[in-house]
Amino acid sequence: MDYAIEIHDLTVAFDRKPVLWNIDAHLPAGKLIGILGPNGAGKSTLIKTIMGLIPAGSGYVKIFGQPLKEVRKRVSYVPQRETIDWDFPVSVMDVALMGRYAHTGMFGKLRRADRDIALDALRKVGMEAFANRQIGRLSGGQQQRTFLARALAQRADLYLMDEPFAGVDAATEKAVITLLREMTTQGKTVLVVHHNLQSARQYFDHLLLLNTRLVACGPAPEVFTPDNLRDTYGGNLTLLTDVANLMHQEQHPVRENKLQQE
Amino acid sequence: MSASYFFLLSDPNVQYVALGAMLLTGSSALMGTFALLSKKSLVGDAIAHAVLPGVCLGFILAGTKEPLWILAGAFLTGALSVYLIDFIVHNSHIKEDTAIGLVLSVMFGAGIVLLTAIQKTGNAAQSGLDQYLFGRAAAINRQDLLVFGTTSVLIMALVIVFFRSFTLLAFDRHFAHALGFNVKFIQFIQTTLIVLAVVIGIQAVGVVLMAAILITPAAAARYWCNSVKTMLWLSSAFGMISGLCGALISYAAPAMPTGPWIVVVASVIAFVSLLVAPEKGMLSRSLRQRRLQQTIAQENLLKTLYKLGEKNEDFLHERTAQEIMRNLKSARPQKLLRQLLKQGYVERNNNHWKLTEAGYLRAQRIVKIHRLWELYLTTYMNIAPDHVHDDAETIEHLLTPELEKELERQLGYPSTDPHQSQIPYRKT
Repeated sequence: MDYAIEIHDLTVAFDRKPVLWNIDAHLPAGKLIGILGPNGAGKSTLIKTIMGLIPAGSGYVKIFGQPLKEVRKRVSYVPQRETIDWDFPVSVMDVALMGRYAHTGMFGKLRRADRDIALDALRKVGMEAFANRQIGRLSGGQQQRTFLARALAQRADLYLMDEPFAGVDAATEKAVITLLREMTTQGKTVLVVHHNLQSARQYFDHLLLLNTRLVACGPAPEVFTPDNLRDTYGGNLTLLTDVANLMHQEQHPVRENKLQQE
Repeated sequence: MSASYFFLLSDPNVQYVALGAMLLTGSSALMGTFALLSKKSLVGDAIAHAVLPGVCLGFILAGTKEPLWILAGAFLTGALSVYLIDFIVHNSHIKEDTAIGLVLSVMFGAGIVLLTAIQKTGNAAQSGLDQYLFGRAAAINRQDLLVFGTTSVLIMALVIVFFRSFTLLAFDRHFAHALGFNVKFIQFIQTTLIVLAVVIGIQAVGVVLMAAILITPAAAARYWCNSVKTMLWLSSAFGMISGLCGALISYAAPAMPTGPWIVVVASVIAFVSLLVAPEKGMLSRSLRQRRLQQTIAQENLLKTLYKLGEKNEDFLHERTAQEIMRNLKSARPQKLLRQLLKQGYVERNNNHWKLTEAGYLRAQRIVKIHRLWELYLTTYMNIAPDHVHDDAETIEHLLTPELEKELERQLGYPSTDPHQSQIPYRKT
């Protein structure tokens, strides 16, 4: 089986406090994959670490069998909506064009073909009519579609999305999930941080249940069991939390041989 | 007036000062735009104050007011302040605003100490060093102009080259990182350019007022546009205008300082922008509010006429202004009636008023939305029927046709509202 993402013994800490413990997971290519877990489970941290935005305390991630550096162009990232400054003077089209920067780099010229691709991405998410609108003057759903268009314009093979359904209307959610399905049938892999248990079962092919440690990872029908869900959502492991807090207090390194962090 | 300014500009000394001031303020405003967009406005202020000890160190090392030494010293301590702030934020529990305040005051204090120490030495070459506090624009000569010109051109060129990177870094740092952009390198270039802009900018307005010409033109420009490119153009244009006007005013009125006048002009531009800019300006906002209130008042009057007609199913009945007034809470019903007459929603027959066909349809739509919304609140949100009226009073003026349709669809075209009033639909 082809794996889009392999996560090996990944531990991530903020200020010495572990938020992810020893994650081991293999995520198949060409599937719609959901990351589920309660608040503070480390869902966003996991995809940010996969994206290289947060350094791993230990362990490593491989994407399409290679380190991230080698396959960067093929990976697209959609950040959480609330991290964006919606007052920033950019239009919907400007945002979509940013997806093309993966190919032009920091200095390369945007060609007409890049504009066509960006416009096509906007059409796919139904935002073509708003191309010149400043992003702050959109509804929540439209804002999310705009950022989805940016990811589409990148023409990547793997998409990592942080809570794409937070604060969007039902119509947008439905349109987006249909689009994501369509992408997976074309062989793309889509990884989505999700918080709604009700819809998770029907949306995703594959699930990763997370609560600071990996609870389960596998095809949705196998993983989505009452036992697993109870393990994920029913109470944290208090001992684990206490140890994490202690490590933070004592500024204890995540690994013995990593006495000096960075 | 204009003739005397024209006369002024033919003086080569004035030309140097005016051109120098324009170059300084123009390029500062460019970098100020990115400082503002990255929410680093205060860092600019810290850099400006931290430049002073560098100026003094440069003087001590060179022994004279050699511009290159002074610029180098200023650049060094200016850059140091940025890294100091960064270091404090990352290695302690002190928050960024506190770190900025700490670095700003400590560095400025050190600068004043050094300045006083130099003045106490009695070195004749030191006279005029204190001009770095409030600027020395009036003393700009040909040689200075060359240095400022080169630096300004360098800043402009690098802004063009790094435009995409700077913009993306300010907008969505994580995405830039995810794309594989060298975020640290871009950040380094941007910080270097901001420090450079401040270092040459203090020649014009001094360390105390520097933040004003860095940030004020950018803040003013933000009011007029919604694109980073336009903002850069406007901001540097505003900066240049301030520089030019400041220089001319200080020459036209004797004994007027150049630097402070540049800041005053920039502030006036910012104030005018805040007031009159379309869409975002205060005037345009309050005008929009007023128009909205007027529409609400007019619609309420139409609604009153409709409801009076509802009693005997005669919607186009003629009524006296007195009768309307008795049923409408409004300060100036006569004025509203005249406005509606002009718009063609009511007709007048001596002292009698009645709805036109168009007025009837508009009133009917408002009443319909009001009653549908009351029903929506009671059915979907379980709000008691006696609590829904006030909400509906607001929503009836606001709903777009798309939302109106959606509301009808979700409720399934009901015939009565929670108070058993008929919900009127337009006959097709």
